[in-house]
Amino acid sequence: MTGALRAEWTKLRTDNGTAWILAAICILTVAVGAATAAVTRCGSGGGCAVDPTKVSLTGIEVGQAVVAVLAVLVISGEYSTGMIRVTMTATPRRWMVLAAKAAVLTGLVLAAAVAAVAGSLAAGRLLLAGNGVTVAHAITGPVIRAAAGSVLYLALIGLLALGVATIVRDSAAATGAVLGILYVPPAIALFLGSDPAWQRWVERYTPVNAGLAILNTTGLHDLVISPWAGLGVLAAWAAVALLAAGALLRLRDA
Amino acid sequence: MEATIAVTGLRKRFGSKLALDGMTFIVRPGQVTGFVGPNGAGKSTTMRVILGLDAPDQGSALISGQPYPRLRRPLSHIGAMLDAAALQPGRTARNHLLWLAHSQGLSGKRVDEVIEQAGLATAARRKAGGFSLGMRQRLGIAAAMLGDPPVLMFDEPFNGMDPEGIVWMRGYLRALAAQGRAVLVSSHLMSELQDAADQLIVAGRGKVIADTSVAELIAAASGDRVTLRTTAGPAAMKVLTRIGATVAVTGSDTLSVTGLASDQVVAQLSEAGVRFSEISAHRATLEEAYMELTRDAVEYRAAFVTEAVR
Amino acid sequence: MTITAYRPPQQTGRESFAQSLHAEWTKFSTLRGWAIAVVIAAVLIDVVAVLAPRGDTQCGSGSGAACLAHVPTGPGGEAVNDSYYLASQPLAGNGSITVRVTSLTGMIAQNGGFQGPDSPPPGTMSPGLVPWAKAGIIITDGTRPGAAYAAMMVTGSHGVRMQYDYTSDIAGLSGAAPRWLRLTRDGDVITGYDSADGTHWTEVGQVQLADAGAVAGAVQAGMFATSPLDFTPNFPTYGESGGSTSNSVATGTFDNVGLRGGAPGGRWAGQYVGAGADSNGPQPAGIGFRETGGSTFTVTGSGDIGPVVAGMANSGYDTGTIADHLLGVFIALLIMVVIAAMFITVEYRRGLIRTTLAASPRRGRLLAAKAVVIGAVTFMLGSAAVAVAVIVGGNIAHDSGMYVLPVSWLTQARVILGTGAMLALASVLALSIGTMLRRSVVTVAAVIVAIVLPYILGVSGVLPASAAEWVLRVTPAAGFAIEQSVPQYQQVVGHYGPPDYFPLAPWAGLAVLCLYAAAGFGLAGWLLRRRDA
Repeated sequence: MTGALRAEWTKLRTDNGTAWILAAICILTVAVGAATAAVTRCGSGGGCAVDPTKVSLTGIEVGQAVVAVLAVLVISGEYSTGMIRVTMTATPRRWMVLAAKAAVLTGLVLAAAVAAVAGSLAAGRLLLAGNGVTVAHAITGPVIRAAAGSVLYLALIGLLALGVATIVRDSAAATGAVLGILYVPPAIALFLGSDPAWQRWVERYTPVNAGLAILNTTGLHDLVISPWAGLGVLAAWAAVALLAAGALLRLRDA
Repeated sequence: MEATIAVTGLRKRFGSKLALDGMTFIVRPGQVTGFVGPNGAGKSTTMRVILGLDAPDQGSALISGQPYPRLRRPLSHIGAMLDAAALQPGRTARNHLLWLAHSQGLSGKRVDEVIEQAGLATAARRKAGGFSLGMRQRLGIAAAMLGDPPVLMFDEPFNGMDPEGIVWMRGYLRALAAQGRAVLVSSHLMSELQDAADQLIVAGRGKVIADTSVAELIAAASGDRVTLRTTAGPAAMKVLTRIGATVAVTGSDTLSVTGLASDQVVAQLSEAGVRFSEISAHRATLEEAYMELTRDAVEYRAAFVTEAVR
Repeated sequence: MTITAYRPPQQTGRESFAQSLHAEWTKFSTLRGWAIAVVIAAVLIDVVAVLAPRGDTQCGSGSGAACLAHVPTGPGGEAVNDSYYLASQPLAGNGSITVRVTSLTGMIAQNGGFQGPDSPPPGTMSPGLVPWAKAGIIITDGTRPGAAYAAMMVTGSHGVRMQYDYTSDIAGLSGAAPRWLRLTRDGDVITGYDSADGTHWTEVGQVQLADAGAVAGAVQAGMFATSPLDFTPNFPTYGESGGSTSNSVATGTFDNVGLRGGAPGGRWAGQYVGAGADSNGPQPAGIGFRETGGSTFTVTGSGDIGPVVAGMANSGYDTGTIADHLLGVFIALLIMVVIAAMFITVEYRRGLIRTTLAASPRRGRLLAAKAVVIGAVTFMLGSAAVAVAVIVGGNIAHDSGMYVLPVSWLTQARVILGTGAMLALASVLALSIGTMLRRSVVTVAAVIVAIVLPYILGVSGVLPASAAEWVLRVTPAAGFAIEQSVPQYQQVVGHYGPPDYFPLAPWAGLAVLCLYAAAGFGLAGWLLRRRDA
């Protein structure tokens, strides 16, 4: 297993695009979060309904697309060049290949996510305070939960994407499939307004809707699903995807 | 366990096409074994099955007595080059070998050794996407040699090589066999295999058609044929056909005589006083032998065929 | 012997664009996966139109279509509210009516939360004036709902306005009562004036009433008061729709009432026009008019004279537009832009582009041919699917009791073909991005993030309202504005958000997307020509 891990790490480290993608994750997340914070003001009437942490971390909705791209490249790139066969001759136990890719990918995503989340929160708090939104000076428990949860969220998105891309194999179709799984259900949830039962189901059990619950630090009793439970739903999706991917990897010809 | 590749009764179907239909052979150490056959004969499929990439419907493939997935550090048991273009273009050649080495617990030092062996020292730090076909082949060979394996398998290694490269490759393969390794080489270039291979496995329609040494195959195909160069064509023809040989005119002053040994032809012509300038016993090329052997097994024949000039 | 040079049997003519087009069409149509995917994308629009759940309206007389309100339509064909208390006299010929409005007060019911058509009696009314409470004078072509009219009025917080034929609204003097108002009728032409002191009059507007022939008949002129539903949105974010509505009443006090051209000895007669047609529940108490000494009158009314907007903001029933049937378009968009991107990036795999460019060395023409093929396919399939969705969705809405705001067939055609064009333009943009980036994974991600994601961010309520509006103006997602079939009205308070309303006007939104596609296409063509294959 160490051999496979080292090999995957060498692959990612020597590919000239990896550093750019990791930078893009950070920059895009911080930029979108900052832009959202810059235009957010307290609503009219007394009491600010704005959740400063959640607004600052809005960029995660976009950064997750880049995380998904990285995950797809890690596996689909090998299929498109045929290098997957070389990888499998070097490591004939295929579950090890998937596990090694997952481990190295997660490590890199966690690193980028920490930078992205820290940057978003810093920028967001600054901009929101400038807009007159009340931002607590102390870093409270919920804020830490939201920050740590967001980092985990991005890592789980990466794993989910890796699983789906391994199942789909073709790089363009995998990208479309992963981004579709991420972005279509939230939009559908909006339009299900007239059927609350379905809307509730979508908001509780689809990856992005559930996972993003972790961003909330206020109004927790109004949430459709509690923060950690939401992250758990996303983790379940990622686990299912990876298990299915591992099974297919073993059964299919290279 | 002796270093071998042992393939037994492989069967595999891709959809409606039967790619392998009972493929069976053994590749032994100390010699270069050529693996030839028409397009679609199942050579690449066999190689993928040996490496555990494709699962056969029936049969087994063992490397030194073990199936591929059971091998620990597989690249130190068997080194293979299947598709030289299976590279990510953005990565340098050295880094490509580096990750492969790391997967087997080997170091960068070993990488530099094989780079040197394969003659890629100057190009090692360039991006693999910019490599010519020949350089990619060398890179593939370097990758196969990373684990210093006793068994080697190359799929069409001569493709894209310039004449100098072909000469180098030929020598390299023979050297590897001389070191006691088992070497399996598939190729379409009969002329190259003729000088490089000792043993020949001829495949067709998913099974083995012939499994002999090169010398035997050529001898079997040569037959009893003599080429005669003479200005007195008609006279020679009369003399030779009178004693029962078959004579064909193959050029303005050459005849092809079948059914008589060369010394008998000489005796007959000298007795009759027919002058000739050259006489040679016909030695079939591997290409001819192969074409004759696989005539029935060819699946993809072009409609536009030129007559081979003998 | 020498061998003569080989001459091909037919001399091919010069390569034409038609040949490039044919080649690209063959490339596209012979890859079954792509053709199937685009067809599935189009079909999904209809699947969503059929499956998207719609609330089943319940009312006293049953559910679904039985509850479908009988909504009057104005002279322009739009759905209108025409409900107010009128104290009037017939106006046979030319004439005028002048009043001074001394006060405008109102009451708002504290219902909190949304009321259905058969809700319990209205809750307690407490003083309050909705922004568009109206009291003033009106000349109307009869009192049937949807009749043509012109009115001068004092409003709750928008000063003096002249409104006519439901959709038109002109501002007059600002500020509160007292204000002097006058309407004069000269044949078909009605002119409105206002004044602060009764002496110096300013013309506010002039209208030629639409149903010119009918005006000659039973025209009524008089005082009126009405007050629309008080709408408070539930959420501050853009995409979340819904709010609560409460009944309201407004009372206008009029004096110095002068009517010229009426029948001699005529008396003011009061009636509740369009009684209760759009209100929540039974008629609020206090509706009517009273003469309080001299020529001072108070008129109390409830309802609205104006267009109905989507989203139940000013109607007691479920309203929508044809855009509500097109909720699946963004899913089709996702699939189509992925296919469009792959159409070019697949050529860069394993050097296929070299074969293509060897066959078609005119690179600009090659890109144009690809754009025409992918654009035409997405346009035709998209338009067809949208047309089906509009028809089928309309029937489903009807059966579930949702009232779809009527629009002219020209507008419907614009929505159908415009949405098809939007899909085509987005596909061309995706093709251009693919030409620029060449690698398929990065292209597909870039295309989805640039074209589909802004739409999702804009409508899903994730962003605050101002950010979401900005996104729907500036990004390629602006093209979705073409789906908007009814205009926003400044004189109606409502929730103006997607899917029924977009920040940009329909053609403006499509133009934004068109600019993106053109710029992308130009840049891609330039890069394609410059680069090595």
